[in-house]
Amino acid sequence: MPELTGTGTPQTPQSAPAARGARIVGFLCDWAVASDGLVRDDGTMRDLPGVTLIKIPCSGFTRPAWLEFALRNGAEGVFVCGCPLGDCFNRYGNNLIGDRIEQLRRRLERQRINPERIGAIFYRRDAQEEFVSAVRAFAEKVAGLPGPVLPPARPPAAPRGAAPAKPAEAPAPEQEGT
Amino acid sequence: MYKRALGRLLDATLRLDTVVGRVYPDDFNPLYYTGGLANLFLTILVLSGIFLFFYYVPSFNDAYASVQFLTVNVPYGQIIRGIHRYAADGFIIVILLHFFRNWFTERFRFSRDEPWISGMMLLAFAGFIGVTGYILVWDQRSEALVAMTGNAASHVPLVGGWLRDALFGGAGLTDLLLPRILFLHVGPAVALYVFLWWHYTRIRAPKVWPPAVWTLFALGFILLLTGLVPVTSQPAASALQPPTGFAVDWLFLSPYWALRVLPPLVLVALGVVLVAYGLYIPYQLPETRAELGIKDSGVAQVLDANCTGCELCYYDCPYNAIVMVPSPNPGVTKAAQARKLRAVVLESRCVECGICVGACPFEALELPGYLQVDIQKKVLSACQS
Repeated sequence: MPELTGTGTPQTPQSAPAARGARIVGFLCDWAVASDGLVRDDGTMRDLPGVTLIKIPCSGFTRPAWLEFALRNGAEGVFVCGCPLGDCFNRYGNNLIGDRIEQLRRRLERQRINPERIGAIFYRRDAQEEFVSAVRAFAEKVAGLPGPVLPPARPPAAPRGAAPAKPAEAPAPEQEGT
Repeated sequence: MYKRALGRLLDATLRLDTVVGRVYPDDFNPLYYTGGLANLFLTILVLSGIFLFFYYVPSFNDAYASVQFLTVNVPYGQIIRGIHRYAADGFIIVILLHFFRNWFTERFRFSRDEPWISGMMLLAFAGFIGVTGYILVWDQRSEALVAMTGNAASHVPLVGGWLRDALFGGAGLTDLLLPRILFLHVGPAVALYVFLWWHYTRIRAPKVWPPAVWTLFALGFILLLTGLVPVTSQPAASALQPPTGFAVDWLFLSPYWALRVLPPLVLVALGVVLVAYGLYIPYQLPETRAELGIKDSGVAQVLDANCTGCELCYYDCPYNAIVMVPSPNPGVTKAAQARKLRAVVLESRCVECGICVGACPFEALELPGYLQVDIQKKVLSACQS
């Protein structure tokens, strides 16, 4: 286990490419896990260089569209971290984001994006170790998911006027159950 | 120093949460439902109190006898009395837990001072109601309480005598005493509901009840206590035999115990200082978010052009800070053309948490400190690094 407060502890050389892990964006509530000592200056986590944390005022602030935005722009996984359920600093922001993520998962499933790539975790201010190990588990799970993040792009729909011009062109085969 | 102490108390609170959390899942952690438990106990108190009210006679000659009759002769009277007694203790205990928990986790910050102030009022009134309840029984303890309270009140400079007369209807034991105390027991209990309304106005969907498991457990625990430790009166009060000592209920009567060591005036002053300090707690650390090491988000802003009047933010705001008002004109975007309502943020209630932003699918709400474009930029740079 790497030290969380790694003052001078040599970074265990876990083979540089493997150490980077999956590229993950995490939204971290200001009142949940304290990020002191967890993140570098550029927002990536000290122990998990592939994970970038974005601080937000409450987990309920996260717009589900931003999670989808991250997946569509190169992230392999996204998660939101809030206070423990029932103990949100803002009363029930974490319950709300939990519900919204459930909705988003179903929506992404219909769009053939693996809903496992979205996560919601809840850790209180002093639970740094548990938070890091949960994020590590999430990163490993995401790295093990099959296939690319996004389904293969469908060909753009032909403009209406141009439809009869190229009748012979076969439409791209529907992606078979990625 | 206060700040450091508060930090240490927060750590202790969180550690306690962790310990309790090992037994109960987060959804059932009783420490998360102290407010709901207080309301549960208050409801039990009101219902059992109505039952007791039917039998109580507020006069010197009959008060003690009526309580004895209720306890011995009335079916289930002993149990109802015990429920009233032990629910009162539970009420004070969970109120204090609620108080300390919200203090140490600093849930009075940023426009959340009104629930705190009304909560202090609830605490003070609950203590006062408890003491008047002990006087109503009119045993020797009650007599001692009246003497000590009257003595302490008359030591208050300027208004002392008036205060005593207002409480007890005159010096010594007058015929007015017990009817007045009965009113001072029931009247403030009604006032509790006024303060509760104030306590709840800025809170959407308050957790008014604990989970059913805890409701059942609290009821069962009270019933068990009632059976194991039946409530009894002390010997009846009589003018011939002045009381020399009494059993102290630490939750309500500890100030009277303190009278053994403190002069009455000091005790009254101490009480005033404690209440005043309690009311001052939310303003003691007027830290901005920047001083807390958190980015300042600013009051949520409605982008009127995008607002469709769908009410999603209105239903999700935890602080009732968003109201829907009739919209005189349509918005600018296509979705906002047919709107009848539009959202308005009440700045005095906004805690700047941004939950409304997450609720809005039409991009009609923004936190000035956390604009959507900035978040998206951060996401992009994270994905491209």
